[in-house]
Amino acid sequence: MTAPLGRMLRHEWRGLVADRTAWLVLGLFGFLVAYAVMNGATWNRTQSRTLDSAAAQADARLAGLRQALDSLPADAPPPGPFGRDPRSPASVGGRDGAQYTVLPPGPLAATAVGQSDLLPQYFQVSMRSRQTFANAQEIENPSNLLEGRFDLAFVIGSLFPLLILALSYNLLSAEREQGTLALVASQPVSLGRHLLAKVLVRGGFITLVAIVVALVSLAAAGVSLTGPGAPARIGLWILVVVSYGALWFAAALAANVVPRSSAANAVLLATVWLAVVVVVPAVLNVVAKTTHPVPSRVELISAMRTASNDASARGAALLAKVYGDHPELAPSESVDAGEFMSRTYAVQDEVDRQIAPVLARFDEQLVRQQQLAERYRFLSPAVVTHAALTDLAGTGAPRYRAWLDQVLGFHQQWQEFFIPRAFRRQWLTPADFDAIPRFRYQAEPDSAVRGRVAVGLLGLAIPTVVLLLLAGNRIRRFEVAG
Amino acid sequence: MLEAIGLTKTYDGSVALDDLNLTVRAGEVFCLLGANGAGKTTTINLFLRFIAPTKGTARIAGLDVADHPLETKRHLAYIPEQVTLYRHLTGLENLEYFSVLGGHPDYTEEQLLGFFDQVGLSRDAAGKRVGTYSKGMRQKVGIAIARAKQATALLLDEPTSGLDPKASNEFSELLRFMSVSGVAVLMATHDLFRAKESGTRVGIMKRGRLVTTLDTGDVGHADLEKIYLQHMHD
Ligand SMILES: Nc1ncnc2c1ncn2[C@@H]1O[C@H](COP(=O)(O)OP(=O)(O)OP(=O)(O)O)[C@@H](O)[C@H]1O
Ligand SMILES: [Mg+2]
Repeated sequence: MTAPLGRMLRHEWRGLVADRTAWLVLGLFGFLVAYAVMNGATWNRTQSRTLDSAAAQADARLAGLRQALDSLPADAPPPGPFGRDPRSPASVGGRDGAQYTVLPPGPLAATAVGQSDLLPQYFQVSMRSRQTFANAQEIENPSNLLEGRFDLAFVIGSLFPLLILALSYNLLSAEREQGTLALVASQPVSLGRHLLAKVLVRGGFITLVAIVVALVSLAAAGVSLTGPGAPARIGLWILVVVSYGALWFAAALAANVVPRSSAANAVLLATVWLAVVVVVPAVLNVVAKTTHPVPSRVELISAMRTASNDASARGAALLAKVYGDHPELAPSESVDAGEFMSRTYAVQDEVDRQIAPVLARFDEQLVRQQQLAERYRFLSPAVVTHAALTDLAGTGAPRYRAWLDQVLGFHQQWQEFFIPRAFRRQWLTPADFDAIPRFRYQAEPDSAVRGRVAVGLLGLAIPTVVLLLLAGNRIRRFEVAG
Repeated sequence: MLEAIGLTKTYDGSVALDDLNLTVRAGEVFCLLGANGAGKTTTINLFLRFIAPTKGTARIAGLDVADHPLETKRHLAYIPEQVTLYRHLTGLENLEYFSVLGGHPDYTEEQLLGFFDQVGLSRDAAGKRVGTYSKGMRQKVGIAIARAKQATALLLDEPTSGLDPKASNEFSELLRFMSVSGVAVLMATHDLFRAKESGTRVGIMKRGRLVTTLDTGDVGHADLEKIYLQHMHD
């Protein structure tokens, strides 16, 4: 019969309670967690306000135009080519009715700001070309951990491991140095079990602090923990935190099963932390950017300029070509005052076509960068964790990319609706108004998020198990006096 | 009870223990004598499996300590030269915890305090944090832990260093009591007087080799010292 684990845990708990440094570490950590949550929640509130007002404004614009249309006298003169008029497709499809395509924050947005403070969360979409709003957005790689706001994801991804190591870098080495290990090791209890009791108490406590303080702070900041989708995400969030913490404790364990001084352990583990949290993510980022470089912005701008000059010079010819290719687009009444506008659309269309390859290369390279970063994120558990935490918060790269695709799709729909009408100078009717495409963000199913997070959890569990197996194997050869 | 068969330990070619063959039977108190660095601690550490032997085997209750590291420790109590305890806990809490580890999780507080009575540590002191103890007091807690374990083999590495004469004397009585109860005792010591007083046999070690063993009944105090010094001068 070996010693009951419960009694061993109680003993370790007493040790932890008596340790002032441990309390300092835990208190500091609790404070950082609470502060990070407040920080995230404040940002989230500001952003939600902006996004709500953008969405409301987009609705109000169309409603206002529609109202103006309804109240227009039947004998009103037809709109001019440049005038603001609810009947003019150029006016409604252009500035006046331009739509805001909002990416609504997820239920746990306050837990991870991610890049939501760098990347636009809405675009003003009109019938003008894509460059007027989404000018080749450069999504930063999710591996840029240390940049960005002081949010909960940063505290968990970067500081949590540091505090775990502060509590556990000398689990066995300190006992060896102080001498208590000799008396423990002369008892019929394996060193593995002794270490397990230590890790369970420290790990359990610091993880509990992380989870409880985070949830309480979220609730205090007014984040609904029971809203739609929230409980499942919180459950997964807890799983990620526990798995990530377990991995770092496993690392500390693995360092301790080799008889080494506490100081050497500290140096070794600090180096590992630096590599995992700072170096590997930064290197991943650099490698992604250098192996799949995006065309330079200068190149993009000069391509646009050339295309624009070229197309403008051939304006009349281009318009004639449009009419030749699409006779149905010719206006029924030849009002030549509108000729200028039509030429603009033809020119815009031509410019878009000419720079499409450059833009496509831009997009492709960005996607390649992202794919590379995502594939190799398993090299750094910190990146895996950060990706999972932002994913759960709804501020991750996959969600942003999906939304961007939806925005571009919507832009196309919008253009397809308005441009032909503008060419034909076909005035909008109330029935047309009802048919104007509206942007509705299609949230990806929660199962997709769960799937990605599950892969991340696996990416944390596998190295944990490997480390534990190595440690378990090595500890058998541990020499208490050596 | 305790058995060393060809036990050898070398560190980078230098021999710390050279082919030790030794049996300590139940009820025997075997005292290892020898100069600093003779290999006494090495011998004890090998029985505890704190280090791995280069050659040979150490057995406790017939079991090879290499194959049964936990099982053999059930039979074993150990008092090192420096008993290092958990400083932030009281003597009583330390005794309780090491009893839990040692396989006796069910002692009542009264029973635990009884062990302190036996080793001469006041109940008052037992309730204080070990961080405030003198070396001798810690040594007494170590002895109490060993007694509470009810082991059948006892490994002692200069256990009385730092004890006052009265406590040292009490310790000899403890050894006699252990011996009568059928415990096999292996003790490393520099105290020839104690060795003769409480040992049943003594062994003299020199540069890793056990050069002589004697029954204490066969020699007087003066003889033992003479023999010891003779060996040291060779
Ligand atoms: N970790 C080690 N590395 C190298 N040599 C060691 C190590 N531990 C012990 N030794 C050597 O082994 C030899 C025996 O040491 P041991 O500690 O057994 O002596 P001892 O008889 O207990 O001495 P003392 O009376 O001073 O306690 C010494 O020469 C010592 O230098
Ligand atoms: Mg010694």
